[in-house]
Amino acid sequence: MTAVGLVAAPFLLMFVSLFIGRYPLSMGEVLSVLGTKAGLPGPSPLTIHMNVVWDIRLPRAILGALVGGSLAVSGAAFQGLFRNPLVSSGVLGVSAGAGFGASLAIILFGSDTFYVYVFAFCFGILAVVLSYVIGTNYTSTPTIMLVLGGVVVSSIFSSLVSLLKYIADPYEQLPSIVFWLMGSMASARFKDIAISAIPMGVGMAGLVAMRWRLNILSMDDREAQALGVNVIFVKGLAILFATLATAGAVCVSGVIGWVGLVVPHMGRMLVGNDNTVLVPTSLSIGAGYLIIVDNVARTLTGSEIPLGILTSIIGAPFFVYLLKKTKGRGW
Amino acid sequence: MSIIEARKASFSYGELKVLENIDLKVEEGEIFCLFGPNGCGKTTFIQCLLGILKTSSGTIRLRGRDIRGMKTAEIARELAYIPQVHEKPFPYKVMDVVLMGRVSYTGLFSLPKKEDRKTAEEALKRVGMLAFKDKPYTQLSGGETQLVMVARALAQQTPVLVMDEPTAHLDFRNELVFLETIVRLVKDTKITVVMATHFPNHAFYFENSNIASRVALMNERMFYAQGSPDDVLTERNMYDIFRIKSKLISHKWEEGSLKQILPIKTYV
Repeated sequence: MTAVGLVAAPFLLMFVSLFIGRYPLSMGEVLSVLGTKAGLPGPSPLTIHMNVVWDIRLPRAILGALVGGSLAVSGAAFQGLFRNPLVSSGVLGVSAGAGFGASLAIILFGSDTFYVYVFAFCFGILAVVLSYVIGTNYTSTPTIMLVLGGVVVSSIFSSLVSLLKYIADPYEQLPSIVFWLMGSMASARFKDIAISAIPMGVGMAGLVAMRWRLNILSMDDREAQALGVNVIFVKGLAILFATLATAGAVCVSGVIGWVGLVVPHMGRMLVGNDNTVLVPTSLSIGAGYLIIVDNVARTLTGSEIPLGILTSIIGAPFFVYLLKKTKGRGW
Repeated sequence: MSIIEARKASFSYGELKVLENIDLKVEEGEIFCLFGPNGCGKTTFIQCLLGILKTSSGTIRLRGRDIRGMKTAEIARELAYIPQVHEKPFPYKVMDVVLMGRVSYTGLFSLPKKEDRKTAEEALKRVGMLAFKDKPYTQLSGGETQLVMVARALAQQTPVLVMDEPTAHLDFRNELVFLETIVRLVKDTKITVVMATHFPNHAFYFENSNIASRVALMNERMFYAQGSPDDVLTERNMYDIFRIKSKLISHKWEEGSLKQILPIKTYV
């Protein structure tokens, strides 16, 4: 029952978001677009209606689900991996690295989305690789070393972003950089989804598949090893999947905070800490949550509100409610 | 064939030698106690046994197989480990923790199966903790946590339990509860136990409970003496290793003989 709800909820929200937006469309008009796309007979809708529903609202909803799910799942995985409920999907520097990559691309090539994606993705991955190399000690990867590696790499890339902002053209490039860093899915098209869905899909699927191993990785390294898990290999694999998911998300949506940190906690309060349940739950909550937030972002005012601003403003009251209601559940 | 056999096992961190030429044989169904001062190499030796650290020379064999040729999961099906103190990263349910003992029997991308749950429940029952299975284990006391660790080790269904000072953080009663549980397990299941401890009387406790027990007295990277508690835990050896005066007390009563060694005073 719960499982069905978890799978169904994001799809339901995706469907609902087709009816929401600032361009006035009646329910009938939206359904008529869907009917035509499904090949049903009937009067064909206006092209503008087709564009709004099929080329704007739908890809944004799909992208929202993918990005929200990716950030939440990798956040949950990293929290387990680092035995620390305060880390998020950006702990190894992927967001900071991607932010630098995107800023660099904006300065070098203007706001051409293709270069921004590629640079953001590659620098996101590079940041994690650097953190991993810094955090590797002889033949082990102690948690605290990895976290410190992430801190160092993140701060380097943040400084570099500041440097780029400082030298950027204040009328064209600077606003683009600032807007990108606040996160948005305004540019979402099917073409973008097709590219970024691969790393996000692989990352999420990998983490969901290995979710029981995340429980064991949350034990002390020695204990995990004695339980029969090849810690270096399995930890590395989890980091790889989480990084693919996050880098894929960040490169199309910009830096969206909160989801990768707090959504897993919503999951912990609802279903407990066992990753076999928590990981899929986080995926579902993250996906649904970002769809909702994106709907608010594109309807609340005439111009888009950046997602990074809304994720916490909308989520905080709900989180506080959960915190009080469940009394933190065993913490 | 011995269940564990180490031959000239040595280990060093770079230049620093931590273990030198350790020879030992552990036989099935016995309790083997590693006893020695802080920093003598007990924990390092246990980590070498578990394959977490690799010996720099010499061999360790588990039921005849060289540990260097074994995968992590294969070792975990021979030896289960109970740590001195377990850090609880998340409020997992007791059952989730015990289930972790089954991981060496499952593939990388699989979930625990029904039989795994059954095995985990049986393990909890054996240590008398079944009633706690749905509780967050962060709410357990130190003694209860250590019993859950035993259950997790039992769920691994290994012929050997390896423990590193498992009672170091337990109170007077819980220490005894823990030892009683181990004695019952050894008697009921013929499981073999290797245990590092700071309490010589643990070895006597096992002997008093009529379990085959042996002691290795470790000092500065090597085994100083090895044999029955009577042979090894002598007043003379206590003086040689710890520079203390001690008294071995033997008491006959209706349930048999009771031996303990008592520390009296230190020498400079």
